[in-house]
Parts: sequence; structure tokens; C-alpha cells
Amino acid sequence: MSKYTEDDLELELKTKEYEYGFYTDIESETFAKGLNEDVVRAISKKKNEPEWMTEWRLEAFRVWEKMTEPDWANVKYPKPNFQEIAYYSAPKKKPKLNSLDEVDPDLLETFKKLGISIDEQKKLANVAVDIVMDSVSVATTFKKTLGEKGIIFMPISEAIQEHPELVKKYLGTVVPTTDNFYAALNSAVFSDGSFCYIPKGVKCPMELSTYFRINEGGTGQFERTLVVADKGSYVSYLEGCTAPQRDENQLHAAVVELIAMDDAEIKYSTVQNWFPGDENGKGGVFNFVTKRGLCETNAKISWTQVETGSAVTWKYPSCILKGNNSVGEFYSIAVTNHYQQADTGTKMIHLGKNTKSTIISKGISAGKSQNSYRGLVQINSRAENARNFSQCDSLLMGNACGAHTFPYIEVKNKSAQIEHEATTSKIGEDQLFYCNQRGIDTEKAIALIVNGFSKEVLNKLPMEFAVEAQKLLEISLEGSVG
Amino acid sequence: MLKINNLHASIEEKSILKGLNLEVKAGEVHAIMGPNGAGKSTMANVIAGKEEYEVTDGVIELNGEDISELAPEERAHNGVFLSFQYPVEIPGVSVTNFIKTAINETRKAKGLEDMPAKDMLKMIREKSELLEIDRKFLSRSLNEGFSGGEKKRNEIFQMAMLEPKLAILDETDSGLDIDALRIVANGVNKLKSKDNAVVVITHYQRLLDYIVPDFVHVLHDGKIVKTGDASLALELEAKGYDWIKKELV
Amino acid sequence: MELLKDKILSSYVAFENDININSDVHDIRTEALENFEKLGFPTKKLEAWKYTSLNSILKEDYSIFPNKCTAVELADVKKYFIHDIDTYKVVFIDGKYSPFLSETTHDTIDVCLMSAAFAKPKYKPVIEKYFNKVANQDNLTSLNTAFAKEGAYIHIPRNVEVEKPIQIINFSTCADITTMVQPRNLIVVEENAHVQIIERHQSLTSNAVLSNVVTEIFVDKSATVDVYKIQNDDINASLVDNTYINQKSNSVASVHTFSFGGNITRNNLNFYQNGEHIDSILKGVTIIEGKQHVDHHTLVDHIEPNCESHQDYKGIYDERSTGVFNGKVIVNKEAQKTNAYQQNNNVLVSDKATINAKPQLEIFADDVKCSHGCTIGQLDDDALFYMQQRGIPQKEGKGLLMFAFANTVLESVKIPEVKSRITKLIAEKLNVNIGFDL
Repeated sequence: MSKYTEDDLELELKTKEYEYGFYTDIESETFAKGLNEDVVRAISKKKNEPEWMTEWRLEAFRVWEKMTEPDWANVKYPKPNFQEIAYYSAPKKKPKLNSLDEVDPDLLETFKKLGISIDEQKKLANVAVDIVMDSVSVATTFKKTLGEKGIIFMPISEAIQEHPELVKKYLGTVVPTTDNFYAALNSAVFSDGSFCYIPKGVKCPMELSTYFRINEGGTGQFERTLVVADKGSYVSYLEGCTAPQRDENQLHAAVVELIAMDDAEIKYSTVQNWFPGDENGKGGVFNFVTKRGLCETNAKISWTQVETGSAVTWKYPSCILKGNNSVGEFYSIAVTNHYQQADTGTKMIHLGKNTKSTIISKGISAGKSQNSYRGLVQINSRAENARNFSQCDSLLMGNACGAHTFPYIEVKNKSAQIEHEATTSKIGEDQLFYCNQRGIDTEKAIALIVNGFSKEVLNKLPMEFAVEAQKLLEISLEGSVG
Repeated sequence: MLKINNLHASIEEKSILKGLNLEVKAGEVHAIMGPNGAGKSTMANVIAGKEEYEVTDGVIELNGEDISELAPEERAHNGVFLSFQYPVEIPGVSVTNFIKTAINETRKAKGLEDMPAKDMLKMIREKSELLEIDRKFLSRSLNEGFSGGEKKRNEIFQMAMLEPKLAILDETDSGLDIDALRIVANGVNKLKSKDNAVVVITHYQRLLDYIVPDFVHVLHDGKIVKTGDASLALELEAKGYDWIKKELV
Repeated sequence: MELLKDKILSSYVAFENDININSDVHDIRTEALENFEKLGFPTKKLEAWKYTSLNSILKEDYSIFPNKCTAVELADVKKYFIHDIDTYKVVFIDGKYSPFLSETTHDTIDVCLMSAAFAKPKYKPVIEKYFNKVANQDNLTSLNTAFAKEGAYIHIPRNVEVEKPIQIINFSTCADITTMVQPRNLIVVEENAHVQIIERHQSLTSNAVLSNVVTEIFVDKSATVDVYKIQNDDINASLVDNTYINQKSNSVASVHTFSFGGNITRNNLNFYQNGEHIDSILKGVTIIEGKQHVDHHTLVDHIEPNCESHQDYKGIYDERSTGVFNGKVIVNKEAQKTNAYQQNNNVLVSDKATINAKPQLEIFADDVKCSHGCTIGQLDDDALFYMQQRGIPQKEGKGLLMFAFANTVLESVKIPEVKSRITKLIAEKLNVNIGFDL
């Protein structure tokens, strides 16, 4: 018999194809490429936005113009030419939907391919879905059920029309337009995204979900998500991402802002599977995302992410623990294969007293990929009795990839207790033989071991997502043997 | 069932098995005894197909089929089970999840559908009762933080679940206190039938008080140098292995 | 900062008057000067200097070539030596060699001066082979290289086990001017040789002193080098210590850094493992107060397979002091079977103290064991209560716990006299009466 070596595994990984690589031909309306103040105005006009919103965008654009693209992350990629990107692309027949039956059948077919049949989700999973495809929200289900509880869940473009006071009050308060290059760009040009408001004391009865997808070639996608959980409320929010296979790199620069007021809790889960590029590193999505949450007193924000896609990922879902006794959590699995590069992690900024944060990061690198954890734990001088526990584990598969850990720990209060641990490991020959002996082939054994390695994070995902995430992990790392 | 003929095997160019012959028929229990370094564990690993060992000569037949070219999992699918002397830890993978995967992969290899969850649960319940295993134990990560006794009991539990044709127990008695030894041995005895066979590898006679062998073989320097019935084990216990070595000179 | 840079650049001509400019070494110096001119002093904008600003000490109008200012009597400075054992000594006062305080040798081994090694043809092959070969091109190393002229030169031939430790001590004495010195040490330890080095920088004045030191250490096959850095300087003295260690197969190199004194102390400690079965050991204890600032910036570059590294740094920070630990471990693609461990534990005693830690792993090989742990916390309350219950007052109990916390790093110190000296220093810093003489 031939020995199944890591070389074989690598070979298999090389031949693995992107499962969601198809392109649905939906007629879209796309702006000409390029970015200037007129384009920003045009986007705003297209959306029929009020004057304050146009000004807000223009201000962001002016800031962005003066900024340079950051290069401190441990990733290398050709810098996008921001004048070669079309900043607006919408399905032409923008449907006024009252029910799913009215959705473009092609689009529904797309979702079926994605394995997220809306009907099924509606029936089985009790999930309310807002779908952002090429930047424009297409369908939001469950509006009525949510409406009865006073929950607002709609495309942010509609929210700007229908709830301008809320959007105006909170937009840009957690991630200011000046925050960073991509956030400023997003603020200037975002075309849609989701808005969610949970009123005081309301526990959102179902998982809220958004699927993002880039369809049109040569377009960037810039969604903006704003979730506001008022005092004592609770919401669990899911976000899924896919993009069709394309040769050229596509840009995705999203901003997500979470606000958890006193005693509120937000769970935000992401399964990111943008097209990672092919086995030679051609194409794939540049995923430059700013996600940040603000916790008031006794509030809790929990970020969970499973990152298997994108050619380049630059993403640090963070928590500002402003209120006393607030809690921030970050659970992450990042898988990189072929030529993928991920630089991801979190920032936990402890400002309030008795604030707690937990960071569990699992990085799995294969192929020629580079996988970095970058995190900041900052305890400010007034943050009495702050606690942080961080654990960053890396699993390397093969000898052509890299795993990196860059934790920054800054403590200015003596009562803080910080623990940081990091380990690196590989899948042991002994473990594989043990599994083989019990009749489990090597490929399945690897999937099993990787799932075990990632378990602490997978356990944090809502049930419907956990299954999908587990499947994604296998797809990302497995070959097509058997 | 198992027929080993003139087996030679080496690791890193060091020759360990030097012409081993062994025949085990269905329904039999064989004990392999011998001093440290005789090649007992090597024999077990070579039968199971561990990659580090190179088979330089000889055949291993299972039910008339040469298995020496098969991958470890294929041998397992054919009914070979090895209870490891040192079972490995797999963090994050629960005992239940692991055994479920093992059973379904074996069924897949045989062209069968996955075992229905209901049947699986029933079987787990039965077998865990047989081995006096606490149900909570089954949700723990495989072998992680298990005591020596728990690891060995878990091995026999997996054996019970997988229902192998040929079970090789490699030093299953080491690290067991007397109560655990009794439980493990009872488990093995209950699983024994006229259709399967057990090879017990042990250093001491102790386990053989509970699992009574039909044959006892003494392995020395990569070969079986003496074969007898259960009484040979007692003799070895009394006289030690030097006696055999002297006899060989 | 710019003023100082200009002053340094313009003084290079004067520096050249004093040395042989027709040599390869001088070409290296000139190149380094150009490099420094281009880079300037490091600022917080550089990732490597994110947590340490030199601004406050670069405002001084340092004298670049101080003359020996004050005579030094042995009796006055004896306490700065490890004096209870026989040692070789290479002593400098304000950057100039002090034959009076030194005890050098050319018997089998060379323990002498860089200026002599630069000047004499006999040493030329060694200088050519080793000088500036492991030091990197960063700002302050380049500055030192440009003005490299004096320091300790130590050469241990094959199979020699040096029976007594070597002390390298730099005193600063100028009472009327502030001084900046650029000591440059070269330590070459050949195959299977063994040497122990004790290094100290000590200011005898209350004027500002800035020492920018570069030490290159070459550890050949199967050789062993142990270095002990004692940093307990005057509060107006600042130190940038750049140490570069190049190790070959089967060698062991250890550096213990004890940082108690000084104004700003920055330790750039770099290990390069060019061979297999190498062990690199980096340990440190930092106990500071006031506005002191100590930054440990370590690098272990695992280049080849089957090597190990062990890092253990402990820090206790009181008042407004700041500690930085930036430990980087690189495991290159070829460096399979590497074992790299890093541990950094810190206690903040005061609300105004700060610790910034950045333990980094960069791993490119899959069959390796690497781990780092970093903790920041307080003393164990249960242990404290236990002590109080047994009648030990809280203050003393705290001191004892901190003493125990820091003292574990000393286990690997091989020279008993160094160990007892450091133990006493720790006890003194923590105000602990250890009750018996160690």
C-alpha cells in the first residue's frame, strides 16, 4: 500500500475546487468605474437619501482621499486600484417584494445552490433573512413577526428613509468615518446593508440573518450593518458570505457597528466563504472589514467567526467595554489554504470596571497560505478588576504555510488579570494511525481532528450555522478522495 | 482466521521480527508473552499496518486473504482491531463522535448506509453497560485526561462497538488496578464467540487468570520460540524469561 | 533629537582623526554612518519601538567623546564588581580603557581591548571574520558601528574552558557634562570552549549618560557561553543594549538580564541558530519603580532543525514605571522539530504602572512545538492570607511573594556569587528581609 503522506494531502487540497463557483445571470445596473465626489453624490441620489446622509458620505470621502491604505498587516497583495472599481451595482428589476414568491426565480436558484433555500429556512430554522446581493438588499422575510415585537430589521437604505432618527443617531458612532482607510471608503460609498433595532427589554424571538454575495464582476461590495440593542434586549445575528469564482480580485470592504446598551446582549456570528482564489492564488476576494461593538453597563457582545474564504482577510471584530461589568467575547476559526492570507483577530478595549473578555482563536493553515492572529487587549487605568483570557492555537498542515501570532497586551491597571496562551501543533502520525486502525481513512481522520481542534469555537455558533461551518471546514481542507 | 508465515519486519533499518509464524483460528484465544524488546508490540502494529514498520519478508493472511499491502483502515474494515498499549489523545473529539465515525466509515466501506442514530444509541447504551462505563464519560474528548484504566476500558468499549473478527489486545492489562482488570477481562470474555478470535499480548500472567488462553506463545528476539497451553504462562510466571533464554542456548 | 543627530554626524570627522581610516573596518564604519544618517534615531512610529520613546533622553546635548573626567579609586567602585571571586576584568571609564582596574590576559585566551584588536595585525583575521557579521543594520546598531572603537575583545580558542568568569564593566564619571558612549564588544568562542561573562554599565555621576552598546557573540560548535547582564544603574543613566548571538551546532548560549536600575533601558537581544541541536536560553528579571522604563525586545531565529529555545521573563512594576516585553520567535521552514518556549509573567504593584507585552510567534514549519504564555496579574490573595494567618504582616508577606515570584528565574544562574548577589539585589528592591545571608 502507498503511504498517505502530507504531500498527498497537499495534492488533494490543490485539486479541491470552490464549491460555490458559479455565476447567476441576473441583469444588473452598474455604475461606471471610478470614484469621486460625483459618484458619491450619485450613489446617495440613487438611494434617494436625505441631505444629511449625502453630507455624511461626502465628509467620509474627503477624509478617505487623504488617507493611505494600511500596510502593517502580515499580508501581501497587489493594492487595488480604487478607480478601477464600480461602486454601485444593483439588480435592475428591483423587486418590491411582499412575499418570497415574488423574488426573481434565478435569484432563488442562486440561494438553492448556496444551500440556503429561503423557504426551508423560513419553515425549519425560523430565521429571518435579509439578503444583500451585489450591495442591494433583495428580500427581507419575517418583517411582520418581528414588527409585532417592535423589532426593526430591514435594509439600511430603507432604514434611512423610514427611521432616519435612529440611523442618524447611531451610524458612525462606533466606527467613525475617520477610523481607517476601508471604513472611510465604506462610509462614502456603501450601497446597502442591514439595520436592526431591538427595543428595550425585547428578546428577539429568532435568529436574524443576512447573506452577502458579490455577483457582478469588477464591482466592489461595501455593506454597512448597524445593530442597536436597546436596554435589556437580546439578539443573535448571523451573517453569511459567498462570492462566485472569478479571475480578478474583488473588493469587499464592509463596516459592522454593534451597540449594546445597558444589560443588552448581542451575539454576532459570521461564516465567511468568499471565493478564496484558485489553487494558484489567482482571483479571490479582498476582504477588508471593520467590525466593532460598544458595550454599555452589564452589556455583552460576542463575536463568533468561521473564516474559510477570501484571498486576503483583514478583519478584527472588536469590543469596546465601556460600561462597568460589560463582557466581550471573540471566538474565531480561520482556515487558510493554497495562497490565502488571513490577518485576523480582535481588540478588547477595557474601559469600565469589572469588565471581562475572552479570546479563543483557532488558526488552521495549509497549502502555501499565511495565517496570522493579531489581537490587542488593552486595560485602561480606570478599568478596575478587568479580566482577560486569550488562547491562540495554530494547526499547521504541510510545510509550505505559516502561522503567526501577534498579540498586543497593554495594561495600565494593577488589578487586571491577563492570561495569554498560544500553542502550535500539527496532526500527529499517531493520531492518524489510531483513526486508521478504527477504520477511519486519513482524509476523514483529518476532518475529525480539525473539527476537534475547532470545537470550542464551533460550539459557540447557533445550531443551523454550526452544521454549515463544519461542512465548510471540511470542504476547505479536504480533498475529493472517496 | 489469522495466518502469519515467516514474518520479517524492521523499523529504521533495525530488524525486529525475524521469521514469526502464528496461526489463530476462529473461536480461539492466544496469548503472546515475552520479555521487553522481544517484538510483541511490533507484531501488533505490523498486523494493524503501521507505516513506520517495513515488512521485509513473509505474509499476513486474514481469512485466506493477504492483508499485508492494505492500508490500516482497510485492515480495520476487514475486522482487525488493535487495542493500543498507549491510546492517543484527540482533543475536542468526543468518544461518541469518534466511535460513530469509525462505525459509519466501516459500514461505508462495506457499501452499507450509516447506522441509524437510534440503533447507534441503543448499541452504545448496551456496550457501555457491559463495560460498566459511565455515560458521562462518552461525551469527553477521546482519551484526553483519561486515567490509564479509563483509556484501556475505552479501547475495549470501542472493540465492543466495532465487533471485530480479530482483536489484538496490546498490554491491555498494564496500568489497570484489579477492579478495572476484572471489568476489562469480563468484557472481553463476553464479546468472545466461535466466530472471532483474540490475541492477548501481555508481559504478566495476571490477565490470563481472567482471559484463559487456548494457546500461550513465547516471543523472543522476533520469533515464537515456545508454544504451550495455559500452564506455560504459570511456568513463565514462576521461572521468569531467563529460563526460556537458557533453554534456547 | 535632530540636533543630537547633527552633532553626531558632524563629529564623525573628528572621530576619524583618532583612528586608522585605511582599513576594511573603517569602510564598515562609514557605511554604518550613512545608514544611521538615513535612518536617524528610532521613533514610536517604528513597530519595534512602539512602546519605547527615546525622546526624553535624546534632548540632552551629549558629549560624544568624553575625556576621562574623574579618577576612579578601586575602593569606591569595588562594590560594582563581583569581587568575592577571581575574575578577569575589562574595565572602561567614560569609554576609555582603565588598565588600573582591569585584569586582562593573553595566556591561551585573549581577554583584552577592541582598540588593540583593531590595531594589531595579529588579530586581523579574527576581526575580518567576525566584526559586524551578526549585528544588524538598524538605527542604533549602525550608530554604534560607525563609532566602533573601544570595548572588550574576547577570543577563546577550541576546547578551552575558561576557569574564571570575565567581567566587562563600563563606568561613567563626568560631573560637568552629559555623555553618550558607544561601547563595542566582540566575543568569539571557538569549538567546545566555555566561557562566562558578566556585564555591567555603571554611572558614578548624577549627570545624564546614554550608553549605546553593541555586543557580538559567536558561539561555535559544542561551545557554551553564559552571559549575565546586571543593570542596576543610576537613575539618570540610560542604556540601549544590542546583543547579537550567532550559534552553531550543539552549542548552548544563555543570557540572564537583571534590570533594576537606570532611567530608560532597552535590551535588544537577538539569537540566530545556525546549526542543529542548539539551545538558546533567555531569562530576565525586571523590578523597577519611579518613572523607570525597561523594554526587553528579544528575537530567537530558529533557522535549522532540532533546536530549542527557552525564554522566561518576570517583571514587577511599581509607581509610574513601565515595562515592555516584546518577544519574537521565528521558526523557519527548515527548522523542523523545533521546541520553542516563551513565558512572560508580570505583576503591577501600582495603579500608575504600565506593562505592554507583545509575545509573537512566526512559524513556517509544521512539526514543531511552540508555546508562549503571558500573564499580568497580582499576587495570590490566598497565599497572602495564608502568610498573614501565620503572623507575617501583609507588607512583608507581599514582599516575600514577589521575591519568590522573581527568584525562580535565578535557578539557571550557574555562578553562585552572581546568584547570591542578584538574590540580595532583588530582596533590597522589594524591601524584603530574607533573614539569612545567602
